[in-house]
Amino acid sequence: MDAFINDLIAYSPQIMAGLKNTVLLMVIMSVTGLIGGVAVFYLTLSRANAVRTWVERYISFFIGTPLLVHLFLMYYGLPQLGVHLSAFTVCIIGFTLNVSAYNARYLMTAYHGLDKTELEAAQAQGFTPPEIFRLIILPQVIRLSVPSLTNQVIQNLKDTSVAFLIQYPDFFAQVQEIASTNFQFFKAYMTAGLVYLVLVSIIVLAARRLEKRLILPGFQT
Amino acid sequence: MALLEVKNLVKKFDDKDVLKGINVELSEGQSKVVMGGSGCGKSTMLRCLNLLIQPTSGEIIFKGEDITRPGVDVRKLRQDIGFVFQHFALYRHLTVQDNVTLGLRKLKKMSANDATEKALYELERVDMVEHRHKYPAQLSGGQKQRVAIVRALAMDPAVLFLDEPTSALDPQMTREVVTVINKLFLDNITMLCVTHDPFLAKYISDSIVFLDKGVVVAEDIAERLFYDHPDPRVRHFFLSVIDHR
Repeated sequence: MDAFINDLIAYSPQIMAGLKNTVLLMVIMSVTGLIGGVAVFYLTLSRANAVRTWVERYISFFIGTPLLVHLFLMYYGLPQLGVHLSAFTVCIIGFTLNVSAYNARYLMTAYHGLDKTELEAAQAQGFTPPEIFRLIILPQVIRLSVPSLTNQVIQNLKDTSVAFLIQYPDFFAQVQEIASTNFQFFKAYMTAGLVYLVLVSIIVLAARRLEKRLILPGFQT
Repeated sequence: MALLEVKNLVKKFDDKDVLKGINVELSEGQSKVVMGGSGCGKSTMLRCLNLLIQPTSGEIIFKGEDITRPGVDVRKLRQDIGFVFQHFALYRHLTVQDNVTLGLRKLKKMSANDATEKALYELERVDMVEHRHKYPAQLSGGQKQRVAIVRALAMDPAVLFLDEPTSALDPQMTREVVTVINKLFLDNITMLCVTHDPFLAKYISDSIVFLDKGVVVAEDIAERLFYDHPDPRVRHFFLSVIDHR
């Protein structure tokens, strides 16, 4: 055990750098995924059939295929077409496309639960469709989707662990390196599991505080 | 000249004729109630008049302009027509006060202070000031409808449309809301109200338009329409909705 702890201490700069990369990736994709999800959700409300059809195909594709396939396709596949992207760029694009599809689906589900007479009332008051989206629909669907959206943030954190497969030096990549150096696989992966658990617990605590702030009377889900 | 003049209004949904040539006039300061059996086209008519539903044909002259013609500023038109819905339709993520000020701030471009001042003045008129920080889920049905009326009135519309304003309320709350609408009637607010409720109709109308199968069958004051009207369709309807004992 002492030897393993000594290894952890010796590799701590590397581990901390990996941890930083993991958190950075998780934060960026959670933000871009939320913005993307809102944009995709907006398009699902389009009056144009063609737009709705393509958006639905996009969502189905990204929900229906593994994230790793998207990452491999961009990192290992695109260079064959002459497009070379860094691991970080692939992660940001790949995760954003994936997370946006999931978030859009959560927002759509919440939208189906809205009282549509409110939208008719807003229309009757003179609000335009973009105003109705911004002032009436979005504040409500976000509130109704808080549990799903925060679960997605947790999922985002856990999903970062596949990024090492395209050479992104995240936390799990560093743990993998230590394990392959000292062959203490069990201890290394247990440590990784505990670290992820701590990070998830922090997100859960933050999510609960956010839910308390955002949930209004009549919005309990 | 009438504030609102509806000429030969027709609305078809696919092949179903819902409105078959409606003619109605509403003058400034006048209050009319539209009554009729379920499915006679009352609510469709009201929604056609502010273009929430596009009419199939006919003319709707509002303030001297035919609003069915292309190029009409629908956004501006709707700001001039207050609309109160059967199921209140309050924005449930906003407080009572914010429900009233939203349109004032975003559509009328009032400052936050002016909008709040106006909202409080209007809420005072319906005894809802003390509830201004509550959310719709914390209000009774009657209170919600009072707020919905205030939200529409705060925009200073030329006319107020009410679509079955008491249908979703119990008798006590109905009385509460009828009192408020009656006050508006006595203040000469121009209103067009669709309802099944003869009690409401009697206390808030100068005259009642009776609709049957998409056409106007009769128009008269409550007393003449409710009892012994020569048209059997009218007589039959009011026999069924009024307790004649």
